[in-house]
Amino acid sequence: MMTSVGTSRRSLLAASAATAATGLAVTGCGSDDDGESSSKRKPGEKIQMTFWAWVPGIDKAVDLWNKQNPEIQVRLEKVSPHNSAQYAKMHSALKAGNPPDLAQVEYMNIPEFLLEKGLVELSEYGADKQKDKFVGWQWEQVVYDGGVYAVPQASGPMGLFYREDLYSKWNVEPPATWDDFEAAAKKIRKQGAYIDTFPASMGPWLAGLAWQAGAEWFRTEGDAWKVAIDSEPTRRVAEFWEGLVRQKLVKTLPVMQSPWYSALQSSDVVSWVSAQWGDALISGNAAKTKGKWRVAPMPQWKKGAGASANWGGSTTAVFSGAKHPQEAMDFAVWLNTDPKSIDLLIAGGYGWPAAKKGFEGSRLDRPSDFFGGQKYNDVFAASDKAVDTSWKWGPTTVAMINHMTDALTDAINSKGSFTDAMKTVQKQVIADMRDKGLKVEAA
Amino acid sequence: MARSRLHSSRNRAAVGFLLPFCVLFLATFIAPICYALYQSLFKVERSGALGLGGETEVFAGLSNYTHALEDSQFLEGFARVLLFGVVQVPVMILLATVLALLLEAASARGVVFFRTAFFLPYGVPGVIASILWGFLYVPGISPFVEMFHSAGFDVNFLSEGNLLWAIANIVTWEFTGYNMLILISQLKAVPDELYEAARIDGANAWQVAIRIKLPLIRPALVLTTVFSIIGTLQLFSEPLVLKPLTGNIDTGYTPNVHAYNEAFQSNNYNVAAAEAVLLALVACVLSFGFMRLVGRRGKVGDE
Repeated sequence: MMTSVGTSRRSLLAASAATAATGLAVTGCGSDDDGESSSKRKPGEKIQMTFWAWVPGIDKAVDLWNKQNPEIQVRLEKVSPHNSAQYAKMHSALKAGNPPDLAQVEYMNIPEFLLEKGLVELSEYGADKQKDKFVGWQWEQVVYDGGVYAVPQASGPMGLFYREDLYSKWNVEPPATWDDFEAAAKKIRKQGAYIDTFPASMGPWLAGLAWQAGAEWFRTEGDAWKVAIDSEPTRRVAEFWEGLVRQKLVKTLPVMQSPWYSALQSSDVVSWVSAQWGDALISGNAAKTKGKWRVAPMPQWKKGAGASANWGGSTTAVFSGAKHPQEAMDFAVWLNTDPKSIDLLIAGGYGWPAAKKGFEGSRLDRPSDFFGGQKYNDVFAASDKAVDTSWKWGPTTVAMINHMTDALTDAINSKGSFTDAMKTVQKQVIADMRDKGLKVEAA
Repeated sequence: MARSRLHSSRNRAAVGFLLPFCVLFLATFIAPICYALYQSLFKVERSGALGLGGETEVFAGLSNYTHALEDSQFLEGFARVLLFGVVQVPVMILLATVLALLLEAASARGVVFFRTAFFLPYGVPGVIASILWGFLYVPGISPFVEMFHSAGFDVNFLSEGNLLWAIANIVTWEFTGYNMLILISQLKAVPDELYEAARIDGANAWQVAIRIKLPLIRPALVLTTVFSIIGTLQLFSEPLVLKPLTGNIDTGYTPNVHAYNEAFQSNNYNVAAAEAVLLALVACVLSFGFMRLVGRRGKVGDE
């Protein structure tokens, strides 16, 4: 029904109003059957659960579960992760009262689902006992108000991908601090290339950088939210990147889109501050640069501080209305902790395991030809351990990212300051949250 | 007696034929509109920071409408599509008219081929057309950008200033042939005797086109223009598809995109419903306004 709104161009006025309205009507009808339907599985009873996810290769892990658990079958449905289409689908399904039993939900989108009462609190089913199996900060990402609302799956500890061949040819060291990064950017620019790009549309990336600088954009205090997007650490990050953009030391291309891939292939852009899962994107889209890339730790604000951050990451969440929440949670825990399952997920390229022991001995834990024989994931393993655990996301993430894209693009186009842009975003986010009927104030 | 019985059985038959239409009309047209109107008058209130304390739907009066009308992005979106329409619609209709007149006048071979060729883009779904053109716009991939570049011009089709016209180009490409076909079909309906009479009176081809053909296809011109005005207000898939390729398409680029984001990205269904109602109203006012405008002028001309 989303596409019907889109493709109804040039239809009659009447028809257009109807499609626009049906879209809302379908998504708007009641969700009366929440919760009441959950039941205990009788021994020997066969059940089937639906699971919405998008990471490549997850079908293999689900197949393995189905083979091992003939009575508890999981039916995987792939959803599109583009432009938050998956969340539109999930929220619509929740509203319409026919959500899946389980779905992949990114860490940053969990509070949005809490607001809609979309997720099952899992400590009732023993989730709190699973805490020790997961990396500390990742576990904290699924805990809200003392409740456990999902099972961690994967994350994106950050580091710096760089072209070792060009760096050494141009006599550039991998930058240890952000000051070094700027100096390196100047050197690289003199060679006609760019050190990196500033992607205005990547709010979560910028959040990662602010996270590293010590920002805490959201926290709750009692029944009120405190928003600190417009804060000292964020301002420092915003000013730094604005400086690079104004001096034309970085491109402003959107990353993970064809223009950027072509810039990687032609060595126009020679490094990328990114998450661990960036490895697959580089090797998959610039295959001819094989052997020339390396990974270095993220540049630091204070030399040797070892501060890290995260970009991306998902959970497996049980949706309200799931008929068998216990079995759903058991599956989610198995999916994200069983070594064989993790192996299959890693092979598919799902990111960085949330399970504590997921990395050791896996295929990530060995030298890579693409990265010139470097055991590059050691960098990310250290990065994952150094991520600040106190970071929380707000309840309007998708809208926040949109605001950020709009404000930063405006700033780039009309030369307004990036710090003002972040101020604008904070105001908009607070207004959004108030519209949701929440108590909120600037921290 | 016999006549009235015939009448009533005919009526019954008519009702029988109309019933499926009426049911569908009510279910798919009237009901959703009522539901959208209803939704636009409510809002959700929550308790607790995470909303875990529960939510209630409360009557909001017109606050969703004021919310929408106070949103500068939403209003800018309207201004943008209006600017778009003022430029793109006349260009496209003019182009379609010229093509229709040419193809109708030409007696040479290839007319059918050209007619089909011009109509073909309409068969390409809007999303696909946008992806296709997107690749022709993106620097680093587009042969056009490359061509301009080697000729010494630095063109960026997706820059803030050019973007709207890059989209106008896609829309024109998609719909010119479609409008042309409507105009041609009306031209076909003009009896040959009229042309013959004109020729006997000494009118040349140009005069026939201006004095006879154009006035006679007036209804088709009005129709295609109204469709185009509505289409402009509905602008949706093109900006949505191009969005990832450029940072310059914001959340409120067009009113439709704004309502979509409000509903499916921010989960504010009530505000989105209000915006959809406002959009429908504006479309209504503009298309009926246009019809009245040309209708009145037509009458003045007749007198």
